[in-house]
Amino acid sequence: MKSSPVNPLLEQFLSEARDLLENTGKKLMELEDAPNDKNILDELFRCVHTLKGNSGLFTFPEMTRVLHAGEDLLGMVRSGHAAYSRELADQLLEAMDLVGVICGDIESTEQIDSSRAAESKLMTEALRKLMPGPSQSDSITSVSALTAVSPAATNTSVSPADIPPSGFPPLASLPEAVRLAAIQQCRHGDRLHWISYRPERECFFHGDDPLNSARQTPGLIWGHIVLLAPLPPLAELDTYSCLLGFDLLTDAPREELDQYYRYLPDQVEIAAVLPQELVSGQRDTDGAKETPSAANSIRSISDDDRIALEEIVAAQRQILLLDDRPAWHAGRLKAVAEVLANLSQAAGEISARADIQAALAEDISSGHNTLLLAWLDAYKSRLPDMDMSNLPGASDRFGPGPDEESADVSPAAENGAGKAHAEEGIKFGRRADDDPNGVKFGRRAEDAIAGPKSLKVDQAKIDRLMNLIGELVVSKNALPYLAERAESQFGVRELSREIKGQYSIINRIADEMQDAIMQVRMMAVSFVFQRFPRLVRDISRKLSKDVQLVLEGEQTEADKNIIESLADPLMHIVRNSLDHGLETPEVRIAAGKPAAGKLTIRAAQEADRVVIEIIDDGKGIDPAVIKQKAYEKGIIDEAALERISDQEAIDLIFAAGLSTAAVISDLSGRGVGMDVVRSAVEKINGSVVLESQLGKGTTIRISLPLSMAVTQVMIVESDGQLFGVPMDHVIETVRIPRNSIHAIKQSQTAVLRGRIVPLRSLNALLGIATIPKANLDDELAVLLVQAGNTEVGLLVDGFHEASGVIQKPLNGFLSNLSAYSGSALMGDGSVLMILNIREIV
Amino acid sequence: MPIEFKKNRAVFRDEVSVEEAEGLLEWLQTRPTAKADLASCSHLHTANLQVLMTAGTGISSWPKNAELRAWLEPALKLGN
Repeated sequence: MKSSPVNPLLEQFLSEARDLLENTGKKLMELEDAPNDKNILDELFRCVHTLKGNSGLFTFPEMTRVLHAGEDLLGMVRSGHAAYSRELADQLLEAMDLVGVICGDIESTEQIDSSRAAESKLMTEALRKLMPGPSQSDSITSVSALTAVSPAATNTSVSPADIPPSGFPPLASLPEAVRLAAIQQCRHGDRLHWISYRPERECFFHGDDPLNSARQTPGLIWGHIVLLAPLPPLAELDTYSCLLGFDLLTDAPREELDQYYRYLPDQVEIAAVLPQELVSGQRDTDGAKETPSAANSIRSISDDDRIALEEIVAAQRQILLLDDRPAWHAGRLKAVAEVLANLSQAAGEISARADIQAALAEDISSGHNTLLLAWLDAYKSRLPDMDMSNLPGASDRFGPGPDEESADVSPAAENGAGKAHAEEGIKFGRRADDDPNGVKFGRRAEDAIAGPKSLKVDQAKIDRLMNLIGELVVSKNALPYLAERAESQFGVRELSREIKGQYSIINRIADEMQDAIMQVRMMAVSFVFQRFPRLVRDISRKLSKDVQLVLEGEQTEADKNIIESLADPLMHIVRNSLDHGLETPEVRIAAGKPAAGKLTIRAAQEADRVVIEIIDDGKGIDPAVIKQKAYEKGIIDEAALERISDQEAIDLIFAAGLSTAAVISDLSGRGVGMDVVRSAVEKINGSVVLESQLGKGTTIRISLPLSMAVTQVMIVESDGQLFGVPMDHVIETVRIPRNSIHAIKQSQTAVLRGRIVPLRSLNALLGIATIPKANLDDELAVLLVQAGNTEVGLLVDGFHEASGVIQKPLNGFLSNLSAYSGSALMGDGSVLMILNIREIV
Repeated sequence: MPIEFKKNRAVFRDEVSVEEAEGLLEWLQTRPTAKADLASCSHLHTANLQVLMTAGTGISSWPKNAELRAWLEPALKLGN
């Protein structure tokens, strides 16, 4: 039994995730047929996007990582940066499968199996590999830069690490080519991070592979290996103690890096690399001594940056001047302070942060903005005069100017700041959808996917309703008995009539209610069918066969239980058809057929049954081969080998232990195919028929009841007890004079309509030690039943009416009684045992 | 086998895991002049790299994977 998750949010997530995954799979398949359909692509992207966003609400990094990569990839396809291809679809489908598996993990154990982390990483890599985007080209440039490292640079790099106490990245060790590329990137607005990764000595025992972690660091631009301790002599080397560390330069956002290294926070130091540090490149050597004055440093920056700086300062001032005092006032002040601190840091004034923090603390406690404003004004006055003619153009480039921004204050803080790479750490006032990595709340509205308006109800609730209506039907059936008694026992005919009147009303309502509940339980076969396009696609590709799948009648409905129990048998059959039935294109062409095989799965309703046909135009089944196989496996004897007809031979395919495939493939051919199919279908009162024409193809017809709820049974009496026999098995009821029953060896037989029918006593079959009673004319009651392919006459004491009953499976210890398929409550409160004919005969 | 030990040459293939490190170390300890062939290696666990670095093993061919090579070359050249 799977335990349902305690957390309702999680439950909701899982249920939604499953739908989204399903939809994603479907869209991917659709996209395969129409790779240029923008709408499908958009919907697909939205699905993955929503799923990723939702997964972010929980700590499922394995899942989020894969989805994130998938989303990025789809985003690129959408924007035309990557081409849609079969490989891409394959990879995405596999990624979705992995997510599905993770969902399963969560559902059953509420945590993710630890092995999934590695799987998700591989999957993420595979997805990222398909991206032609900057991360890949960057790593290529970094590689070229790295291989060009001069021996001198190498020597400095592989030296015992020393990180300056200030914590600033040792940018001097950066090769010139990498440094120039990085500066270029900074210019484009990317923010770089320096990571100093110092694995602990014991890390190998935790399953870490630092080199691998370093190699997989998101957005890696450059990296090198450093020795954390001098290498010991070879003889003394402890292979399980890590001596290496890594310095890395990446362009991934801080959040992503934190996420990536979240299991090793104590071994990793991440620092933002400021553009001017790259420009000077010398900060760790002599920067400490000659920190330039603020005015100098500001003057040294480019005009563009200066304009941006001016704008940011103006925007912050605007914010501070706002005189409303919303609840988030403190947060707003913090945002301003953070922007200013980063700004001054970016401009080279490292010490300014302390001043700003002090001013912030004071202002928050006082509830005014005066100190920050004062600092800002002082800062502004230090800014060099601007060439005002630059401003309008600059405004266009840098988004809304200060005036416009004042209308929408909190995002403005980030709006300007981002341009100067000075927004690090701002967590307030950020628009949810600005950051693709963050957790997204309130996103439902924009992501709403048009879907059918339906209610999700736990199946257990429907089952309960079903049980209740069953009980209602049974107790309602007690009313006619009551009416009978009122009249016969108490002689009040008036009351009896009234009871009957009420009964007919209750009866009608109960019938309608039952019908309505059945309708709720009805499901379209498309639930099962929808997985076939994917299955057929995967298998046919694996077998290098060309298969065209045709699905018909997907809207045909049947009871949920029926549909669900149909899934596995159908899967078996489809696999069999693909593996054994349909031929490879070469063989098909040689046989004069079109190269692509056709597999049709058709569902239709016929009276109160659903018929599903699986038709392939493959090579068909050779009865001779089957006969030979069956004989070899000892399923039939030599006499039968000669005797049985072709159709009977083909039916042998349903016999247990028969496998026609010469070699066991991983798809089918383990001998547990069609017999499992038959028993699964028969378990739900269905039947399966196979027709095959050699060279032309095979048709398998599965016939199933629409609903399992009400079973029609024939009630028979034997040894004073009543038994139910499912109507599906009943052929006819006859009375046979005792003298026309013949004994052949041990068994009794009778000739019925010219055929010899074996007779078995129900009492004997059930282990009751009484002989069947005959009626006054010395005739025995025989219920002719069909068990599989054979007809058997059951000797019983007498027949009662046929009745619709709600069959309940036997529970607990009783479920071991294979002679009965279940029990049912009768109108008078008695329990009727339903015989399992196939088992007892 | 991710590492195939030839007469005087260790051939690394695909992903070489941490379990290989001990064997590699023992093998290299008895063969000071042995070389490593990393051409078809896609990744080697840090432990293996350490062994190669400590032993100062010569590299007969660098990984075809340019990214891996870029990592290994500066680190391993030091030992040469």
